Amino acid sequence: METIPDTSGYMIAGYLIAFATMGIYTLSMYLRKKNLKRDLETLEALEAEQTKKK
Amino acid sequence: MQSKPILLTILDVVSIIVLGVAAYLALVFAPTELVMGNVQRVFYFHVGTAWVGLLGFVVAAIAGITYLVTKDMRWDRFEVAAVEVSTMFFFITIVLGSIWARPAWNTWWTWDPRLTTAAVTELIYIAYFMLRQGIEDPEKRARFGAVYTLLGGLSAPITFMVIRLFRTIHPVVIGSQSAEAQGGFSMTSDMKTAFFFALFAFTVIFIDLMWHRIRLGSLQEKVEQLKLNVSM
Amino acid sequence: MSSPPSPSFFKATMAIVYKDLAAELRSRELLSAMLVFSMLVILIFNFALELDIKVRQSVTAGVLWTTFAFAGTLGLNRSMAVEKDRGCMDGLLLAPVDRSAIFFGKAISNLAFMLIVEAIVLPLYALLYNEARIFQPSFLGVILLGSIGYIAVGTLLSAMSVQTRTRDVLLPILLFPVAVPVLLASVKASGGLLNGATFAEILTPLNLLIVYDVIFIAVAFMVFDFVVEE
Repeated sequence: METIPDTSGYMIAGYLIAFATMGIYTLSMYLRKKNLKRDLETLEALEAEQTKKK
Repeated sequence: MQSKPILLTILDVVSIIVLGVAAYLALVFAPTELVMGNVQRVFYFHVGTAWVGLLGFVVAAIAGITYLVTKDMRWDRFEVAAVEVSTMFFFITIVLGSIWARPAWNTWWTWDPRLTTAAVTELIYIAYFMLRQGIEDPEKRARFGAVYTLLGGLSAPITFMVIRLFRTIHPVVIGSQSAEAQGGFSMTSDMKTAFFFALFAFTVIFIDLMWHRIRLGSLQEKVEQLKLNVSM
Repeated sequence: MSSPPSPSFFKATMAIVYKDLAAELRSRELLSAMLVFSMLVILIFNFALELDIKVRQSVTAGVLWTTFAFAGTLGLNRSMAVEKDRGCMDGLLLAPVDRSAIFFGKAISNLAFMLIVEAIVLPLYALLYNEARIFQPSFLGVILLGSIGYIAVGTLLSAMSVQTRTRDVLLPILLFPVAVPVLLASVKASGGLLNGATFAEILTPLNLLIVYDVIFIAVAFMVFDFVVEE
């Protein structure tokens, strides 16, 4: 084979998608964690209030 | 929630490093394949993600069985983490395979056993999340999830064998018949280095992500528990 | 669960089958829905695929199996939803019988409904399209094996889906990807038979069909407990 076909475009697209998918997944996990932590704080505050009333 | 363990932080750093090295090996270090050109380089990540994808589904099925036997919710969190991370990796596998297939087979998609099985498996695990979403009781959710991962894990290999009756053009890179399939190639030693390092790197990243997902699951459970306490 | 099936196990299974069949004999709502639906699917296929003699050569098995799979989902959903809505399931679970007897009872009556539908649809298809090859015993055997596997998984999954919020919508989504092997192997085997393949030629899909049936009946039997327990 004398000439190597130029398929770099496909390669770049492939790696972009791979990294983007992993990035989006990590981001989604981070966001879910942040939301849960906020919920947890609110709930803990609520619980403390409830116990005080009693 | 307990603070982040040091080991996990170390694993995070290691994951980022091995991902970088794997990318370097795949994109720069490995020689350009002569027939297909640069697009062959997606193969390293394709096989790497496919490997952890499959690993995760096997792990999930085992975790499911263990949950059914022990009824310990920790196994349920383990199972969800494995399925979720694997579904993500398997998505990458399918997309990368498709991108490679375009120049190599001149089509984005073909109904080949591996491709079809991958697509069916991905659908099974999407169905898994839809099933879990429809159930409120966490204990029942865990039971049904475990049963479904078990069914999915058993049907996937049979799907593969059945579709193989139709026909295949997917190359088997490890093994003897590599050159026969369309787009097959044999690996040089530098390619093998990049290949095996990609397998290793994705295993590390997989463990890291799973660990994070399990911790997220525990946090979720804690919040659900607190919600019950507060509303009472 | 592992004890050898006792006479009471068979009795319990048969009692459930009898109950389902007797109820269906009175109302006929399930079978009539499945049958009308099957006829409509075939009608749509007829025009969508232009089922002339050349096309039929290659798609008859596929058309039939798609029809059976859709009609089967309809029946599975209904048969389990009835148990759930009328509170029969709770009654059955309280009864002092082995849980797996409930599974086999439901599976056998579901299978009976599916086979009845097939027993009406197949001759009708043969009549409409002059397809006498349908009546060879090995073809009917493949239909039976495929139906058994499909119903075994379907009964288990319908017991799960009726307990979820999205129930009716969920069953096909859960069932089809897991049932892909049984449907494809059946299409391959029955299609081969219709096109005059010898028995040796369809042996591989046939073996896979049997493997699938055995594995999934065993697994469904073992895990059914986990699906119905409260």
